[in-house]
Amino acid sequence: MSDRFDDPTDETLGRRLAGELPRYTAPAHMRVTIVEAAAPPRRPVWLGPLLAAAATALVLLLLVMPVLPRIVPADPTQRYVRAVVSEHSRALMWGARHGDVLPAALPWLTQETGIGLNQFFVGDERLELVTAEPVYLERERGVAIHYRDQDGHMLTYIALPAAGLTVPDRDRVQIGRWRPALLRDSGFAALVWKQKDVACFLVSDMVSADDVETFKEYFARVRATTDPVPAY
Amino acid sequence: MADADFQRQVLTHLDALYNFAMYLSKRPADAEDLVQETYLRAFRFSHRFQPGTHLRAWLFQILRNTFLTFYRVREREAPVAEDGVPEWDAPMFHDAPEDDGTAMDAHTDLERAMRRLPEEFRTVLLLAEVEGLPLEEVARVMACPVGTVKSRIFRAKERLRGLLRDYETK
Repeated sequence: MSDRFDDPTDETLGRRLAGELPRYTAPAHMRVTIVEAAAPPRRPVWLGPLLAAAATALVLLLLVMPVLPRIVPADPTQRYVRAVVSEHSRALMWGARHGDVLPAALPWLTQETGIGLNQFFVGDERLELVTAEPVYLERERGVAIHYRDQDGHMLTYIALPAAGLTVPDRDRVQIGRWRPALLRDSGFAALVWKQKDVACFLVSDMVSADDVETFKEYFARVRATTDPVPAY
Repeated sequence: MADADFQRQVLTHLDALYNFAMYLSKRPADAEDLVQETYLRAFRFSHRFQPGTHLRAWLFQILRNTFLTFYRVREREAPVAEDGVPEWDAPMFHDAPEDDGTAMDAHTDLERAMRRLPEEFRTVLLLAEVEGLPLEEVARVMACPVGTVKSRIFRAKERLRGLLRDYETK
């Protein structure tokens, strides 16, 4: 190894490099190009006020939102359906709050909900009973029983005291000897019927044409063997 | 983005960077791209520059790293010869590829010889002898110890002398 200044020949070569090697000068347009590239992009004059106005509107909306009237369905049946669909999707995502297998939990359920079940569908080769639990929907206590079929579809049966509720005639469908109403909400299908003063709902995500037919079969099984009554 | 003062300072080194880029890439269009990319990166990462340190060395370092990135990509994408054997081996010190038609003509034997040197040798000579950077700064640009820089300068000059002798005999 050698230091570059130790060798006079190296020193000469170094001087030649510094003095004789041609130097290239940057084209004039490069400086302009670089300065332009470095400059921040110009914002349109209207962008600032527009963003400020949008931000103000957003803040106002956030402030006002809690006091805005909620859009609830005017039709009471539709309102009930929305509530039971919400309960069904909650159970679908989070499971039952107090999962218990009937009939062991029957006295407790009746006590908690005010709904007695003289008889109920306990499942068969196609539908498996998963859990039963009390629910509170539309300011009423009720019973929810969850089933699962062999394809993994979850079904929720809900019984609520609703003496004033009327099942809409226009949505009724014939299933065997019964004529429940078939309603849809948020991508779910719900069959609605009444047994004396108790409103009954069967909810599922079975909404396609084929699935609805299966859903109707499930309804027939549940409807034939479930008898809810107000306990007091 | 960099402030106006920083922009003014870095632009004073435009000619030196372009000259360095010309000797690295050997094509004016490539050199322009290289320098512009260097400035874009310098502006984007201006916050990483430590005031009081050698700005020119920092810019040379960015330019060389940018060049190596592009050069290596191009090297990987080089067409494979018909017999499947690469055109050249890939030793640690790459010999610069021969000039093609788009490269600028060399004005002197010295310039021609410089262009024939491997990049590592060309860079140390350009930075240390032509630009006059201290060896410590050259070492920083090349990300190697000062001893390695000295060794490369020595070997680069040997190679350069050999090439110049060849040109004289021809």
